[in-house]
Amino acid sequence: MSITAKFRAIAGVALVGAMALGITACSGGSSDSPASTAAAGSGDLVTVGFVAVGPEGGWRTANEQNIQDSFSKANGFDLKYAPATNGDQNSQITAFTSFIDEGVDAILLSATEATGWESVLKRAQEAEIPVVLLDRGIEPNDDSLYTSHIAPDNVGISASAATWANAQFPNGTNYVVLEGPPGLSVVNDRNKGWDATIGKTFTKLESQSANWSTEEAKSVFETILKANNNNVQLVFAQNDEMGLGAALAVEEAGLKPGSDVKIITIDGTKSALEALAAGRLSFVAEYNPLFGETAVDVVNAALAGKTVEKDIVVPSVTFDSPAAATAALPDRKY
Amino acid sequence: MSAPRTKKATPFLSTVIHQPYIWAIVALVLLLVINLIKDPGYLGVSFNAGTGNLSGNLIDILRASAPVMMIAVGMTLVIATRGIDLSVGSVMAVSGAVSMQFMSTADGSAGTAFAAAGLALAVSAVLGVVNGLLVSVVGLQPFITTLITMLAGRGLAKVITAGQNTSASNEPFRWIANGTVFGFPVVFVIAAVIVAILAVLVRRTALGLMIESIGINPKAARMAGIRPIGILISVYIVSAVLAGVAGIFSTASVMTVEVAKTGLSSEMDAILAVVIGGTSLAGGKFSLTGSVIGALLIATLDKTIVFLSIPSSATPAFKALVIVIICLLQSQRVRALFARRRAQGRPTPPSSPSAPPNPASTRKETVSA
Repeated sequence: MSITAKFRAIAGVALVGAMALGITACSGGSSDSPASTAAAGSGDLVTVGFVAVGPEGGWRTANEQNIQDSFSKANGFDLKYAPATNGDQNSQITAFTSFIDEGVDAILLSATEATGWESVLKRAQEAEIPVVLLDRGIEPNDDSLYTSHIAPDNVGISASAATWANAQFPNGTNYVVLEGPPGLSVVNDRNKGWDATIGKTFTKLESQSANWSTEEAKSVFETILKANNNNVQLVFAQNDEMGLGAALAVEEAGLKPGSDVKIITIDGTKSALEALAAGRLSFVAEYNPLFGETAVDVVNAALAGKTVEKDIVVPSVTFDSPAAATAALPDRKY
Repeated sequence: MSAPRTKKATPFLSTVIHQPYIWAIVALVLLLVINLIKDPGYLGVSFNAGTGNLSGNLIDILRASAPVMMIAVGMTLVIATRGIDLSVGSVMAVSGAVSMQFMSTADGSAGTAFAAAGLALAVSAVLGVVNGLLVSVVGLQPFITTLITMLAGRGLAKVITAGQNTSASNEPFRWIANGTVFGFPVVFVIAAVIVAILAVLVRRTALGLMIESIGINPKAARMAGIRPIGILISVYIVSAVLAGVAGIFSTASVMTVEVAKTGLSSEMDAILAVVIGGTSLAGGKFSLTGSVIGALLIATLDKTIVFLSIPSSATPAFKALVIVIICLLQSQRVRALFARRRAQGRPTPPSSPSAPPNPASTRKETVSA
């Protein structure tokens, strides 16, 4: 036993954490983990570990800021924020295990990768620490491993975008999809909702990844326009940044975004709404990042021993006209 | 990689044929032909009345190749000294962040654009000085040193813009990436001029020889009276400044810096361009022409993938396949095999120097390109 404990301590210090600790199931109180630099044992505050994604873009910043604001000391929480190092899943697993070792009351998880979470989630379960998944889900989606999953509905949001497209082009048209990096659950869900809803008369010319980036989207879409002799009427960009890049490519080609090429984006950041207000984008579906209060309710309910819903959908709105965007802009938080 | 000894005796064409980057040229032509088969009008360049610019796929390729060309050329010099610069992508982000942050609060005049570019290049140069000092004076491994600046650089870019993707509007700055001069994209013209200046600098002076000698044998170079510190610092500064230029190119095209994405994994593109161009990662003999061709090939490859509608999940595999084939074809063994075949097949071919395949010739001192 003491050998195991010693081994554990060394592993913890050396940050080899992830795999080694995953084998030795326990809930020790070692305090030499990286995430526990914040003052420990602060009165009767509820300690919550937040395994986060870290800087990624406007949406993520708004989301994580909102979570941190909601789990404030004033609300009775001591939130320990552990962003991933450059989106690396390994650093997330390390942070997750050290939260378990520390014995936090609850863990919030926004996973950078969907797979590979089973063993650490099982450890949290054995330590009786409720885990709430925020935004990103896990694969395979075994909902016995976590308490609740709070996220806006990607499938529903892209379906609402497709519904709008169906209404705009009753006779169908040629469209292009600009998607995120292949393999992400977000990308799969946004494709799923769109493909299931878009009308049969629509022709998908191409579906290319632009890695969520404006610059890449511009470069990709200028080539797509040339490959199709500008015969593209609709773009479904799976985030705002790529939609804005496509709009630039359309302008470079001497066409007018909004009338020649209609661009749909998902996320609803401030810059996208500004572009919608200016008529450069045609439809923006919000992917609501502000669900900190819901997360607080779920954590409180779980800690009080109440049953919580496994799958909580965050309501999101859509903006289909410059007027709607102009109206929403003044109190846009992100 | 065998040196073209017959340079003065044979015409330009045969010199080119025996360059290691010949396969890159072949691949480049092949890609263009494939595109041409898909769309016979592929190479057409037309005047776009809407924007007043020339437009066409070739123009797009030249434009897209400019940033890669910049970092690849800088990387070539660093690699020639047996080093490597992994920080170029991050320096691109820093340079973009500095210029966008500066312009987001300033007016849209040409003066502002110049000031922003100057400031961005100055900050890039500072990062290059840090790399150079750590490598030459402190004696840290180039890989580790530039890995640190790579991580720190992206962090710095995030600090500069407070984690936001900063946008700015400045017409002269935007023109750098989107405008044309005599039909050529401005970025390509700037890149070509910079490459030409550098080529003259390293090939018409002893600088290139000194860089190669440091890469071939640093100790011998020092014994021969070459002071490596100054040269090492200079190549890292050149690499960082060129990465800064690339950062300006790529952020100016969308007038937004995406701190997490601008220049992301560009160092890999640069290293690939260098390798495709026939410069050995072991240092020594280098070819700027080869790296320029490598950069053009990478840009063409990226554009071709989209043009042919290759599904996005298959693009990395396709890209890797093309590059692996090129690297295989120009590898020492395969080239030796080809040379042997030629020597056997045709006893005295007019265009072949029929030099015996000699693996040791990699390190031969020949100034070419």
